[in-house]
Amino acid sequence: MSLDRDKLGELFGKVGVGNQTTLGIMGNNRDISVGEIFMIYSNRDGHERVFFFRVLGLENYLRQVDDMARIAGTLMVEGDAYLSGIERNMLLSIGGRMLGYAEKKGEEWTFKSPRRLPDHLASVYRPIPGTSDDSVRAMLECQTDGQVYVGDLQVGEATLDVPIKIPSKFLPMHVGIFGSTGAGKSNLMMVLIKSVIDNNLDAFRDAKQKLQRISAFCIDPHDEFAKGVDKYGIQHVVEDMSPSTRSEVIGDFYYLTTHKRATTREIRAHAREIRILWSEIQPRDLYSIREFTPEMSSFIDTQYSVAKEDWISAIINMNEDEAGVPAGTLRAVKRRLSFLERSPIFIEQGSSILSDIFIAMETGRVLVVNTSLMGDMEQFLLTTIVTRTLSDMRRALKSSGNLGDFMNQGEMRLPSPFFNSVEKQARAFYGIGGVKDETPVQDPRSLPVIQVTVEEAPSILNPELMKGQSVFKDISRQGRKFNIGLLVVSQQVSVLDNVILSQMNTEINLRLGNEREIRACIENASVNISGFESEFRVMSRGEAIVTQSYRELPLPVRIPLFDDIYERDKHRYKDKGSKKSEEHIL
Amino acid sequence: MLDKILTENFRRTLKMVFTDINNQQDRRDEHEFAKDEVRIKERLLDTFTTHRHDVILENDFRIAAIDGSGTDSLMTLDDIRIHLLSTSTVVVDTNTQSENLFSPIERDTLENELGEQPHIDIHWHSGVRGDARNKLAETLASIYPLKDVASLTLPFFKDHTKGEIASFSDFGDTEYEKHVPRLRELESLISREQLLTNPTVHEEIRKTSEYAAARRLLMSDIQPKYLLLDGALSVFMHFVRHYPSMPSGFMLRDVCALARQKNVVLCAVSKNHTIPFAHRIAGMAREKFGASAKWFCHLPSREDPEGGLHIYEDRTYIPPMLAVPYLYSFSRDNRPSRIDFDRIWWLENIFVPGDPGATRSNEKTLFAELEFMSRDARWYGYPVPLALAHESCKLSYEDLRLAKEVCMDVRSEMGLEMRKAEPLRADYDL
Repeated sequence: MSLDRDKLGELFGKVGVGNQTTLGIMGNNRDISVGEIFMIYSNRDGHERVFFFRVLGLENYLRQVDDMARIAGTLMVEGDAYLSGIERNMLLSIGGRMLGYAEKKGEEWTFKSPRRLPDHLASVYRPIPGTSDDSVRAMLECQTDGQVYVGDLQVGEATLDVPIKIPSKFLPMHVGIFGSTGAGKSNLMMVLIKSVIDNNLDAFRDAKQKLQRISAFCIDPHDEFAKGVDKYGIQHVVEDMSPSTRSEVIGDFYYLTTHKRATTREIRAHAREIRILWSEIQPRDLYSIREFTPEMSSFIDTQYSVAKEDWISAIINMNEDEAGVPAGTLRAVKRRLSFLERSPIFIEQGSSILSDIFIAMETGRVLVVNTSLMGDMEQFLLTTIVTRTLSDMRRALKSSGNLGDFMNQGEMRLPSPFFNSVEKQARAFYGIGGVKDETPVQDPRSLPVIQVTVEEAPSILNPELMKGQSVFKDISRQGRKFNIGLLVVSQQVSVLDNVILSQMNTEINLRLGNEREIRACIENASVNISGFESEFRVMSRGEAIVTQSYRELPLPVRIPLFDDIYERDKHRYKDKGSKKSEEHIL
Repeated sequence: MLDKILTENFRRTLKMVFTDINNQQDRRDEHEFAKDEVRIKERLLDTFTTHRHDVILENDFRIAAIDGSGTDSLMTLDDIRIHLLSTSTVVVDTNTQSENLFSPIERDTLENELGEQPHIDIHWHSGVRGDARNKLAETLASIYPLKDVASLTLPFFKDHTKGEIASFSDFGDTEYEKHVPRLRELESLISREQLLTNPTVHEEIRKTSEYAAARRLLMSDIQPKYLLLDGALSVFMHFVRHYPSMPSGFMLRDVCALARQKNVVLCAVSKNHTIPFAHRIAGMAREKFGASAKWFCHLPSREDPEGGLHIYEDRTYIPPMLAVPYLYSFSRDNRPSRIDFDRIWWLENIFVPGDPGATRSNEKTLFAELEFMSRDARWYGYPVPLALAHESCKLSYEDLRLAKEVCMDVRSEMGLEMRKAEPLRADYDL
């Protein structure tokens, strides 16, 4: 094998000093920025390798000059001084971190953590967009491929045409998105939603590929995703599809909101109102979103065991003088439940959306949930109920050998009104080739991957709540068994509970607000990114470092604007030849 | 040793030495200097108008510089010493029109004309009687491009006798007639045979190598306006025979003659010099022209109008034979340096007989150009081509260590006996 080094980029310099972790490079006097990635070609002992190196520090270096300060002083004091032929002696001394190396084994490129050193005075190449894209894409394929596109590989201030994707099979191992206000979280979420839709579209169009569909329950706290932040939003993607494709990929609706009437006409056609019955709420849903004293939870548990699904109505209608009820506890519990009485979305009677959400999530669809008009507690409770319901359904499935077992497990774990309403569909989703009791059931891992967004994560994924009976504790530990993952969105890392942080295997680290968060982010990263502090400090909006426990390379990513990638891709949502077939039908 | 150096006793010893110097040498020199003081101040010392930093010369020109370096003990094999010499030629262009001041010309262009840069020479000789001289002659003959010894020696005699000896036939009836047979072989030009120590041999080869580079440059198409050498234009003479005691003396005069023929200003700059009272002359310049002034001071010889200076009357080789030295300073932060010009060229191009004003005007033009090429911020006040040549040829301690390792490597590759290249004392950590 002999690599075409011209495809690596422009020859920039030579490796000077260093070890397998950090290197010093002497390079041309070019406009280099912190964060750039260089490739070092090495051929030691017959092993051809390309090392990847990230710039962390820069220093001007003048050959033949030991004392730069003296030269600068002389230039200042002696106004007529010059520097003869200095251009060729003006070099840039660069310090940085070794990220790892790519090596071709047979026809496949492999990527390894930095455990070797490039050869003496190895040549260093600076990737150039337009030249290096193909070779970098090939070398980093095992580090960048997947189904969910996040952005493009950033090499300093430029990007290469090397898309960075997260494999869908790792979504159930939870994803974190960390970034301060204005770091580009909303745009990133829209890019991710589009990627999920694209994946599902591919899965629908090319069944032979056997692509796994991805479901996403996406909380939209500012009601931006459907309409878009600037020009385009998810609604445009939905509208571009033909009715048949839309029905398969998007379903009857994709937008959930508290007040359908307050929505624009276009979106309203694909919208449903969020309504959850009190009977679909379980006590641990409430324990997951706020603290309850042992007396209060004991009282609630007692009422739940007696009244079952009607426990909320029972407590709210309970009189203080009823025997055996401590007045203080009852008052406190009533106060905590009072928001349900006022809430337009948590209703005592009527029709619920929960079964539709379940069906959407089990058929690989995306739901955008406008929570802009909800209170914090409502939003947290909704997320919790959905997460718990979906995970309990799959838990019941995982614990069963056939559909008969599943029915028993489901009835035991889930509120009866809800379970009864989804029973039929559940049998259809989970049975392998039938709906009878003796029909064997699917492994949850063969079902669509479900990704549930937890917005403002510190409010519910904090150590206090996670100590108790939080449903998120189980999900974070066991989600992968049920193919359900959390997409934790937070401005802070330091305040999140360790259980969720330690179970998180993919982090998209955007610009962070302060040193404490930068430190926490680096400590929490799934790949060692120590030394990247200065990078975080200079990061711009839309730039991120993606770390994944299942990959060796921390990937600097530029997240494109949703509008740009929509413009680029909008042609693919239209059906090829659909017009013709419609005419034929007519 | 430090415990001795830091004692009062050591200080007392030093005081005695300085008092001694003061009483004997300085007092005599002061006396002599007093006689020269007015002449220096009024007629030899001067300043000049410097080029503006953004000057655009009508005719940009090239300046070449040559410097050499080396070691007389690359490797020691019993009584055999292997010498390593590196010689570098650098050519810069004033480039005022392209505002890329004094940038070196392309390396490829230079190497096409002059061969690989820096140029490496190796020499060895043993302690066997006559071997040093034989081998030295062989090495010099192989290094210097002009192989005809008769042609090599003639320029000296021509310049020394002011043209009386212009060919070999002119030697008849002169004091040199009896030496003519000696002037036909390079080996017999080495008349300091008894003094052929390793450093002397090394110095002779180094000079030859530099003069060889100078000759090659002058014969090339590079055509610089200036050619700068490191050191002085001194020719060391045989006291009895009255001609250079070593071949390098003849070579220097050959190069001088060739430079004149090619219209190249040949000069030699020395940072380390022994001009007496240089610090006092610098003080005078500061007093007369101000602290920031750039100045020069002609150091006349006996043959010049008003004769030589009293301060170096008894100092051999100041001024050097057939050369004109000046003291100069282009930077207030540095001590003055010395620059030598070929006297024959100087008489033809700078000196105007009977017109000191015109001579001074020529000197000022010359020094303005020399100063313009000495403004590099890395070596402010020192000609940049020479500094670049020095940087290019210098053999650092690390270079030498590696060269020694390569020596051992090559021997092992050749299957020769394994011998260490470090000095013997290194075995004892001394």
